[in-house]
Amino acid sequence: MLETPTRTWTRKDLLGLEELARDEILHLLDTARGFAEISTRSIKKAPALRGKVVLNLFFEPSTRTKTSFSLAAQRLSADLVDIVKEASSSVKGESLVDTARNVEAMGVDIVVVRHQQAGAPALLARSLKASVINAGDGTHEHPTQALLDLYTIRDKLGELAGRKIALVGDITHSRVARSNIWALRKLGAEVGVIGPRTLVPGALRELGVNVHYHLDEALGHYDVFNILRIQLERQRRGMFPSVREYNALYGIDLRRLKRMKPGVLIMHPGPINRGVEISHDVADGPNSVILQQVANGLAVRMAAMVLTQNARESA
Amino acid sequence: MDAILVKGGRVIDPASGFDGEADVVVLGGRIAAVGKFGEQDVRGQYRSLDHLQIVDARHLVVCPGLVDLRCHVGEPGKDSEETVAHAAEVAIHGGFTTVAAMPDTDPALDTVASALLVRRQSEQAGFADVHPVCALTRNRAGEELAEVGQLVEAGAVAFSDEQRAVDAPATLLRAMAYVSMFDRAVIEFSQDPALSGGAMNAGYEAMLAGLPGIPSVAEELAVARACMFARETGCHYHAALLTTRNGVRAVKRAQRLGVRVTAEAGALHLAFTDAEVRKAYDTNFKLFPPLRTRDDVEWLKRGLREGVITCISSSHRGVAPQDKELEFGTAPFGAVSLETTLGVVLTHLVRTGDLSLVDAIGRLTIHPARVLRLDSRKGAIQPGHDGDLCLFDPLDEWEVTPAALTSFKKNTPLLGQRLKGRARQVVTRGRVFDLRALAAAAK
Repeated sequence: MLETPTRTWTRKDLLGLEELARDEILHLLDTARGFAEISTRSIKKAPALRGKVVLNLFFEPSTRTKTSFSLAAQRLSADLVDIVKEASSSVKGESLVDTARNVEAMGVDIVVVRHQQAGAPALLARSLKASVINAGDGTHEHPTQALLDLYTIRDKLGELAGRKIALVGDITHSRVARSNIWALRKLGAEVGVIGPRTLVPGALRELGVNVHYHLDEALGHYDVFNILRIQLERQRRGMFPSVREYNALYGIDLRRLKRMKPGVLIMHPGPINRGVEISHDVADGPNSVILQQVANGLAVRMAAMVLTQNARESA
Repeated sequence: MDAILVKGGRVIDPASGFDGEADVVVLGGRIAAVGKFGEQDVRGQYRSLDHLQIVDARHLVVCPGLVDLRCHVGEPGKDSEETVAHAAEVAIHGGFTTVAAMPDTDPALDTVASALLVRRQSEQAGFADVHPVCALTRNRAGEELAEVGQLVEAGAVAFSDEQRAVDAPATLLRAMAYVSMFDRAVIEFSQDPALSGGAMNAGYEAMLAGLPGIPSVAEELAVARACMFARETGCHYHAALLTTRNGVRAVKRAQRLGVRVTAEAGALHLAFTDAEVRKAYDTNFKLFPPLRTRDDVEWLKRGLREGVITCISSSHRGVAPQDKELEFGTAPFGAVSLETTLGVVLTHLVRTGDLSLVDAIGRLTIHPARVLRLDSRKGAIQPGHDGDLCLFDPLDEWEVTPAALTSFKKNTPLLGQRLKGRARQVVTRGRVFDLRALAAAAK
């Protein structure tokens, strides 16, 4: 039986990292470390959520995150239900709150929600007794992705205080970036964001974040480069002129990797546009921890489910 | 004939500058006299009285019935949100005796028939007097002109495409030139349509909320453009619902150049900022134009102090609970506000020292009446004017709760907040509404 201490965790929901204190983040990461071991066993099961029901409520397509939550729930012995809804159904059909109330009436304990609108998990959390875990809401937060990023950095480089982490790409539309910035700042890391001015909010300086519009001048400064996916739709909306120009100015390739610190970590939350924001050889090279990120996601999501569940039951 | 004697109140009439203890006589639905009167004086003066009703106004402020120049009444076509009759009743509970009905209905108020419908519903209801602001262009589409001349005949008090600035500059320029032939204002919405597609104020808070932002430059662009067109055409341009520093400054510049521009602020935009929007994604804070920053609110207050902004409106809009219970990006904009506007103005402008009581009342009475060309009958306590009075206790502290609101719709960001100041009695065209008695009866 796994130790799942609840002393520093009293939240029934995990909606974002903005509202978490430093100790809560560390507690979740430490709890995840305990769960990481399960994935190395030949029988990959623990009984922590036996008899509990986890609902994946996904209003946006997702492969990686949904699979990761599903496997995490199954390794904790929970029963699992998947609902994938068309993005627009909330406008004409049943409302989000009604959908959730209905499934709650069937006895769901944890709702993992991905939604294209910022604040949708907060709306659910207000309406439900079940735990709500945000699996990405619009351009707001994606807390478990950021936690697995932190877990990976901590695993490779040790404690985060004083570490220099750069996020590269479309920061404006990135929930991953927001969650990373909150957590990294709380843990004392130096954070920089790098990208074109049309995709990087200057107001981030108010959070103590370094803002760079030119990648090349920042290459030697950071210990970690977390590279975000660029969506081609942004180009059509006039936010950058072309993929070719984006790649020329912000693409991470071997030439740029050589100008980074030795031992620099290259991360990417996926899915990767090879040859656009990251070159093939960097993505698969020795500095890349992209697949470790994916593996660590399971442990982090198991920790999130167990902690929120314990808090809900002891409330 | 029936008479009403409102005795012993502190009468404030911003139109004349009067502020002192006085009695007001309303005769046959019109203001007859202001001064010191006993009951016998009134009976002696007006021989043919059938009935004299005495209203005790001691410890109360007696001001002209409030005039709201922005209310969304939902008729025709959106009567599940609001109706003329209900809005008119709710208005009375907020101290408003005159309400301008905005044309963003379905269909828009762009025909003589729809203008007459609003007037008829208002007359049948017998509460606040509701007047239509008619669409500037047909179906508010920003293309063909509405029949402005005939709509004026039918009772249109102003013209506006409400919630939508006219897209094409040429259309707005021609529309303002056309309207300038009639004695009416164009109330142009203060947000450029191409820049205002977001859900909340653009900036730091929207960035963190992950919600698409409406930049303040959307307002400055629309306001500056309309100011230029007012200069070119001589049309009276009324800047609807200013919310930003640079919107206020654009109006101020134009006024300094002698352009005929008036401006308005919404009560709720004075009480909240975009920081509150983000706290819980509470859709009751979702307004259009959006709640802005602390700096913007300070500029609105400054604009009100300096007389750049002379009107405060409710911008009342009822939204059904099932629509406000949606995701923040999906939920419709708007808040009910008729019953809280007076309290917000007294709490957030007068008690804070930003406006004197007289100036604050002026911004809720005579100034909006002038914009709507109703100032010969409304907005002042002068003999011959409609007998519309609002009696309020500026010290009456109350909490905004669903039960405290007469409105069927309860969508307001003020829920749970305390306000100081509330209408107690309202007189309109010969009828007296004792609001506390009505509220007690409703329970």
